[in-house]
Amino acid sequence: MSIYIQSASQISFQQPLCEKWLDEPILPIQSFNQPMEPDYKQFIAPAESRRMGKLLKRAVATALDTLAKGGCEMPDAIISGTGLGCVENTEKFLNAVIDNEEECLPPTPFMQSTHNTISSQISLKLQCHGYNSTYSHRGTSFDSALLDAVMQLQLGRVNTALVGGYDEMTPAYFKMLGKLGYWRDGDVSIDELKKDGIPGAISGGASVSALLGNKNTQNALCQLVDTEIFSCNSVEKLQNKLHSFLNRCQSETAEIDAVMCGLSGDKANDDVYRDLLCKEFPTIPTLWYKHLFGESFCASGYGIYCASHLLNAGKVPDLLIYNGKFEKFVVNNILIINHFQNNDFSLTLLTKCHN
Amino acid sequence: MEQLIEELKKEIIEVLNLEEMTPADIDENAPLFGEGLGLDSIDALELIVLMEKNYGIKLQNAEQGKEIFKSVRVMAEYIQEHRTK
Amino acid sequence: MTDIVITGMGIISALGHGVEATAEALLHHRSGIGKMRFLKTKHADHPAGEVPFSDEQLRDILNISNDFAITRTSLLGRIALKEAAEMATLNEESDARIAFISGTTVGGMEKSEQFYRDFLENDDRNEYIALHDCGACTDMIAKEFAGNISMQTTISTACSSAANAVILGADLLRTNRADIVIAGGTECLSKFHLDGFNTLMILDSEPCKPFDKARKGLNLGEGAAYIVMESRAHAEQRGAKAICQLSGCANRCDAFHQTASSPEGEGAYQAMMAALRDAGLQPADIDYVNAHGTGTPNNDESEGRAMMRVFGNQMPMVSSTKAYTGHPTSAAGGVENVISILTLTRNFVPANLNFTEKIDSLNFTPVTETKTGVQLNHVLTNSFGFGGNDSSCIFSKIK
Repeated sequence: MSIYIQSASQISFQQPLCEKWLDEPILPIQSFNQPMEPDYKQFIAPAESRRMGKLLKRAVATALDTLAKGGCEMPDAIISGTGLGCVENTEKFLNAVIDNEEECLPPTPFMQSTHNTISSQISLKLQCHGYNSTYSHRGTSFDSALLDAVMQLQLGRVNTALVGGYDEMTPAYFKMLGKLGYWRDGDVSIDELKKDGIPGAISGGASVSALLGNKNTQNALCQLVDTEIFSCNSVEKLQNKLHSFLNRCQSETAEIDAVMCGLSGDKANDDVYRDLLCKEFPTIPTLWYKHLFGESFCASGYGIYCASHLLNAGKVPDLLIYNGKFEKFVVNNILIINHFQNNDFSLTLLTKCHN
Repeated sequence: MEQLIEELKKEIIEVLNLEEMTPADIDENAPLFGEGLGLDSIDALELIVLMEKNYGIKLQNAEQGKEIFKSVRVMAEYIQEHRTK
Repeated sequence: MTDIVITGMGIISALGHGVEATAEALLHHRSGIGKMRFLKTKHADHPAGEVPFSDEQLRDILNISNDFAITRTSLLGRIALKEAAEMATLNEESDARIAFISGTTVGGMEKSEQFYRDFLENDDRNEYIALHDCGACTDMIAKEFAGNISMQTTISTACSSAANAVILGADLLRTNRADIVIAGGTECLSKFHLDGFNTLMILDSEPCKPFDKARKGLNLGEGAAYIVMESRAHAEQRGAKAICQLSGCANRCDAFHQTASSPEGEGAYQAMMAALRDAGLQPADIDYVNAHGTGTPNNDESEGRAMMRVFGNQMPMVSSTKAYTGHPTSAAGGVENVISILTLTRNFVPANLNFTEKIDSLNFTPVTETKTGVQLNHVLTNSFGFGGNDSSCIFSKIK
């Protein structure tokens, strides 16, 4: 059985719900970046959205846009990743608990703070009774959701699955993560992010989704050969994992046309990729996306999103090339590598649709 | 009483995030739940908090709210009678 | 389809530490619900199923020093993981691919709510910032088992998190992505969710009364529990003793309301039916249902209606064990999986405590006296979460 990415959409600090970043990218100039909000009224009536926080609105709009573009009214499964859940509501309730000393607390932010609020809000909107799950595992939250969807398809339980990654960055959480060295100081530019040896990335938040299906519809963006998540603590083990993954995909490193990595500009994060790329893919072009979509626990979703659209468009804008040159014009296979703190990893192989 | 009704309408709009509404849009005699304003069980919980926070009235359970939240006017009358602040 | 067997389990809850303490309490009608001693809250008058150990005592069990930053959720998880791994004779040299799937929603919130102002205003508690999220909680537990976990992830579907961890685990075994899966969940009490449930007015100020006409709400609980799952062939090959089988499981969505269940329990009904299909069983094959049965007016009626749709007039024995453990939210599925396995392997059905009168619209009453010496072959257990995340698992005696 083959799995296809039928459609994929996003809201970020690029123009929302479209692929204008391919030709007209918005370049980040600072570490704290907020998404560009689309007009939500076309997706959610005001009465319906009055209790929804920003992330929930983004998630519902991204999901509905993805389904519409994939020509699917009702997916068989809804599976989401979110590293932090609805932070805005969590903070609202947490502050109320502290400030009001546990008295007179508002129920809505509590109710809307839970991680699975997002998947369930999408299911409510669609009246979808199918498989519904939520992963919250730091930098591999989206990857876990993707793996689950792939398994549901491989086990023949579903024909379609909506997979998403949703996270928001509030000023307070930005400040907290800043203390842990997550973010770049001062002004930011793409060249600065590419420079070796500097700590910190730029933030983005995430709202990105993809519709997976087992039918090669005319509009499918690409084929998903397989995906895997694993824990690993040495580059040797990582190399072994990589080889066994490609083996299972009946592919070899030589057949990979490009490697899409979660390079973010943060030294500690990027060194892991550099080390592996140098050993395994010394001549293959490396692509990146976090300079256009920012870092967040679900940022890896943009890797899948971007790679799908590149395979569909049959072109790679220079801005997405981290290093290397394309020898040939056609890109057939993109390997996507993601890791979180050199501990949790994911590998995904996407290939061009062969009609 | 009329002043309390106006005040209450504003508070309801704010606490329930009825963004597109003004106090004039709310008929103080119309039902808040079901047909009228179309509020639901979570709104009822929010109104219970509003009663406690703004007027010092503590309801014991959601059932009690059903009687009191029949309309803005009924709510205002209840508040006038029982308010502690 | 791959036969999945259970080769180990570990638990800590209001009933105490370990499988034996849990079985003892259930067999002797000893509830763990009472006044909270460790959570510092204004609402301590609400009874709860608090784990009867302080953080310091939990650290002692694990030999963890007081200056090592770790959350209560992770402490509970580590204790349960340790017991499960020991029972399953997992050793750290094995080259088996071991997946660790843990459910949690509160994560590190119990510490964050104490240190939140520090997080924002000074550098005193920075080490706890990174421990706040759900994934960090799983990661801290997996480290108990260093070097040996080949993959880990965290499920957060509120009160069905641990059940969904088991469901994911089953799929990892069925698609040959893991040889062994350790799955379950962990959650500790926090002001955040105690107060949250309180705003929803679904906490009972007395011990909860699942399936009783006069039920008023739930009592929160806490704990952690994991089961070790592997294919029958893998267990046989490494000489591990199979305790029972996971014969089926399924996840469906109620798609009705963020915090309430539909009147006819559509999601619950679909989850139970899909789990039966997955197991290749008929409703009449089920001998006992360990219900979600939280004690809220809404859940118990909705779940009961769903069970009537599944079982009709041939209702199996039913009880909720929430009046023993409280509702340990994300860990509930884990705790109740272990309890279900205990009832199956030790042939007893725990009483549904605090029950007096049947709910009008339901056609059954739960088991009110603990039954011993009953022959159970198949046990179904339900876990339902906010957002309509409904899941069911079926455990069976080894064929």
